[in-house]
Amino acid sequence: MGRKIDDLFSGLGRIMNGFIVCFLAVPLIVTAVMAFDARSYLGPLPPPALSTRWFSKFFSDDYFLRGLGVSLELALITVCFSVCIGVITAVALARSNSRARELMTTLFLSPLIVPPVVTGFAILIFLSKLGVVNGFARLLCGHLIITIPYTIRATLNGVLGIDKSLTEAALTLGARERHAFWDITFPLARTGIICGGIFAFVVSLDDVAISIMLTDAKTYTLPVALVSSMRANFDLTLAAVSVLLMGLTLALILVLEKTVGLNQVIGQGTFR
Amino acid sequence: MKRAPSLFFYLPAGLVFSVFFWLPLAGLLLESFRPFTPGRVGAVTDAPLTLANYEELLTPSFLEFFTQTLRISLFASLVGLVFSFTLAYWITRRMSPRGRAIAIGFFVSLMFLSVLVRTYALELTFGAAGPFRAMLLSVGIYPNSRGYIEILVAAGLLHYIVPLATLTLLTTIQNVDPRLFDAAQTLGAPGWRAHLSITLPLSRDGLLAAFLFSFAFSISAFVIPMILGKGRVLFVSNLIYNRFSEIADFPSGAAISVVLFAVSITIVYVTTRYVNRREAV
Repeated sequence: MGRKIDDLFSGLGRIMNGFIVCFLAVPLIVTAVMAFDARSYLGPLPPPALSTRWFSKFFSDDYFLRGLGVSLELALITVCFSVCIGVITAVALARSNSRARELMTTLFLSPLIVPPVVTGFAILIFLSKLGVVNGFARLLCGHLIITIPYTIRATLNGVLGIDKSLTEAALTLGARERHAFWDITFPLARTGIICGGIFAFVVSLDDVAISIMLTDAKTYTLPVALVSSMRANFDLTLAAVSVLLMGLTLALILVLEKTVGLNQVIGQGTFR
Repeated sequence: MKRAPSLFFYLPAGLVFSVFFWLPLAGLLLESFRPFTPGRVGAVTDAPLTLANYEELLTPSFLEFFTQTLRISLFASLVGLVFSFTLAYWITRRMSPRGRAIAIGFFVSLMFLSVLVRTYALELTFGAAGPFRAMLLSVGIYPNSRGYIEILVAAGLLHYIVPLATLTLLTTIQNVDPRLFDAAQTLGAPGWRAHLSITLPLSRDGLLAAFLFSFAFSISAFVIPMILGKGRVLFVSNLIYNRFSEIADFPSGAAISVVLFAVSITIVYVTTRYVNRREAV
């Protein structure tokens, strides 16, 4: 009797898992196929003919290209600042005693639990009171706030994982503290720093909720441009952009796997 | 061995966070108590303080937005938890090392994939004009009905929740000693009972953490309900944005923000306290 129930549950679990994997993968596959659809309307699958017309349409559309330019520039500048600030803060956190560290970590990770729309709206009200109307400056402020928690957390994990005796040995052997940092701490924390940088890049490139509040007429990010054209009309240029972004994600994952290893990203348990 | 003072190192982040985060949040709280002047962007600087913006939130039409957000979020988080737990268990205990590596690669890739892209993909595939339209209509489901749109919004949330919760739960399940389960079976317990009395209780903290994270993510979701909800299902976040973009009513938007903020913080606080208390025992 027990056996039969077990088999039933195990079968049900298997079916459910298959269903979830399909649910996760099928929309992405459908989008990838539709991006190459030669028809000018949304028709049933599979498409009768393939073409790259939606890709060329994207690359000849000034509205999207402008957004792409702003997004990439913003993401790169954000990552630079965010990584620098993250590393400095992580070093400070690692040096503090555990109580101060706990308090400061909570403070600096707090943007992760505040709903992004609230953060965006608060920054919008504040900066418009100050008279800051430059779209790029406003976007940079918002993006720094949502990316720094990731760089701090990733770097801190890297720094805390370093055996303290290594730094102490260097100091005992006569190295100055600055040298000990650049020769010991920094190389060992590198994986954490890279991880944090990649997270910051992805978060900055994908954000809608904050950016949509802080854009101006000329400075808008690609996701904001995509959202507004998604609400206006449903054409397959967006599917083409999605395919490009999927490609970018895969490239980032490969970089991550080569430099850090995916297991490092998710952590490991005891009984594998 | 002279150590540079830590305070100095806190300066850059402290400065950025004070000016662009903590001060704005304080300003938001203040703004929420100001009266709204139609046609003016932001409240008058020295206007008298008022509770009117909060009183407005107590009307049934506003409460409806909050209950709707909480209802759909709760549904998505619970379903996501069941899905993720079965997936994580399957990956940890039933798959070969190679299969496990592929599965982990798949979920990490999904986690890094743009939410906007996934939301668009769901709309394209399951939306009113998608390839499954005829199939849906033939089983009597109308892609423009309210129920279907609500399920679609929940599906959008699930597409984000499941990969992340699965990755979180992998570690949890890896920390449950499989020998305990084997022992229970050897002693005569059928598999389902062994799971109920061993695997689930031992994974409780991980499950709770995954639920907390899913629920907090869901109630503050913005793009997912904005695109999949098509204006018919609105989350609190969308309401805040509409206050700003449609009527430029900053004080009211601020009041809604403060409430959403308070709800999120409470959820995080309560659950962290609960998990910590259990760890301390």
